[in-house]
Amino acid sequence: MALSYFLIGMGIYRQFTHWHDRLTVAGYYLACVALAIIFGAYIIEVFARYFLNAPQWWASEAVSYSLCACTFLMMPYVTWKRGHVAVALIFDLLPTNGARIAIWLTYLLGTLFCGFATWISMDETARQYINNIDLMAVKPVPKYLISIFIPFGFASSTLHFIRLLEFKAIDPDNLSAGGFGED
Amino acid sequence: MGWEATLITALMLLLAAFMSGAPLFVAFLAINLTGVAIILGPAGFGMVANSIFDTTNNADLATVPLFILMAEVLFRSGTVDVLFDAVDKLIGRMKGRQYVLTISLSTVFGALSGAGMAVAAMLARTIFPTMRNRGYDTKLAIGNILAGASLAPIIPPSVLAIIIGTLSNTSIAGLLIGGIIPGLMLSAMFLTYTMVRVKLDPSLAPDDNDDEAPKITIGEKLRAIASCLPFALIIFSVMGFIMFGIATPSEAAATGVLAATITAAYYGKLSWKMITQSLGTAAFITSMILLIMASSRMFSQLLAFTGATSELTNLIVNLGWHPMMMLFIMMAIPFILCMFIDQIALMLVVIPIYQPLLTTLGFDPIWFWLIMLLNVTVGGISPPFGYVIFAFQGAADNVKIADVFRASWPFVVLFLLGMVVLAAFPALVTFLPGLI
Repeated sequence: MALSYFLIGMGIYRQFTHWHDRLTVAGYYLACVALAIIFGAYIIEVFARYFLNAPQWWASEAVSYSLCACTFLMMPYVTWKRGHVAVALIFDLLPTNGARIAIWLTYLLGTLFCGFATWISMDETARQYINNIDLMAVKPVPKYLISIFIPFGFASSTLHFIRLLEFKAIDPDNLSAGGFGED
Repeated sequence: MGWEATLITALMLLLAAFMSGAPLFVAFLAINLTGVAIILGPAGFGMVANSIFDTTNNADLATVPLFILMAEVLFRSGTVDVLFDAVDKLIGRMKGRQYVLTISLSTVFGALSGAGMAVAAMLARTIFPTMRNRGYDTKLAIGNILAGASLAPIIPPSVLAIIIGTLSNTSIAGLLIGGIIPGLMLSAMFLTYTMVRVKLDPSLAPDDNDDEAPKITIGEKLRAIASCLPFALIIFSVMGFIMFGIATPSEAAATGVLAATITAAYYGKLSWKMITQSLGTAAFITSMILLIMASSRMFSQLLAFTGATSELTNLIVNLGWHPMMMLFIMMAIPFILCMFIDQIALMLVVIPIYQPLLTTLGFDPIWFWLIMLLNVTVGGISPPFGYVIFAFQGAADNVKIADVFRASWPFVVLFLLGMVVLAAFPALVTFLPGLI
């Protein structure tokens, strides 16, 4: 009985990680699209201003919103690939087991504070939605439509940090790369 | 708790969080969320969420991904190989020509790339094996590559200059253009130092005949110059557009990307795969950098809220020390810290503390922050922790980290000498920005 519950649980977990990975990859491609929009908006703006004498009101706003979207859509992918910048020297200085524990603790810290950030940013986004708060712009846009990318990025990164907490998965032969940073 | 204790405690906790090996944005989040909970209570959490939103919703910072994208398009497409060959042909036969080639290429790459790591990795894979095979001194070769790659954050386009300009509320265009003369000056200093060493100790470079330098005709040299022209278009699209007031730095970065794409297409190196990979890498690095910036912003607001920033300013005013003495102290602290912690993280801590002091001390912001830019840039090549060092070692074969450390020190000293020159002659920094 216990075994069957365990197997069902493992199946659900595998399904979850499969879809979470796909969502993370989708975020990666959407972040690329957001960056392409930043590039396109500026090129259209410069071209329209100098060749058509018609400055575009939307270009700067599209850039700002896209930058926010790009940052937080890509965030889970960066966490998944352990690409965040960190001062990883300590992992080289510690003995193997100590380094594994230290790396595990950084994942725990990431889980706790990304989770905390998810809560406060979701709370703020909900407040913006309830109070109908708009962004100050030529064409006001509901702020929650842009700020929603922030809790998405933090929430998905929290899940990646939780997944990284599997102690046995921390590679003892490649401890520096098992953490974060440049090594 | 007095403001001194608050400031010291906050900085010590932050340093400890950095050294724990946790991602820098998590370290900042940990300190800031804890600080807000203690100082402001739960009511302050909304401020944290809004500070994150405001940072990532800033169009000025769009320059960061665009400059990265421009360099990615050029490096991934292999278009820079054309430049490599052209500069190689233009340098005549001389003793130590590979050193000259390294510094010259680095200077040109500096005008096409906003960060030094890509340049260091590229030179480590291409020119460094050649230098070793031909009998060049390994340490001097490594030092040349590290120093040359460090020109990229100084000569525009510069990602670090944009971050400093955004955080310190200084003209980004001024900081970018102000980096041209210091970048060229440092390049000249590296060349002079290297050639003097070769002159004093001829064993550091092989003889002309052993150097396998190609014999280049005048026609080939002219063709080499012609092949560089598309790159001049890229450089003009960035620096020229900013200097002539045609575009803002962000718009100039976008036109730079367009020019880089056209150049790649001109040389038949444009592909859909290369474009998507470049977009992916640029978005990846942007997310890394902006997350740190967004997570750190509350730190300066907390310091201001506790009164630490204003009290520190008052203390400095009352000290009455000579401004040059203050400049020395203000530069010495980041120089030492940069050996151990990340450049961007350091700037995020230091800039909010230093910014109010500049007016009091009567420093020109562009001049001061440009010297600071050199200071944090040298952090990339000062042992034991430096991104450029790691990028080089990761790309080069069979190089001991101890040799890389030893190779970098003379060039760290040259950087410091360059900072002294800029401090003594502010016009070297402020002249070009004054023309905008």
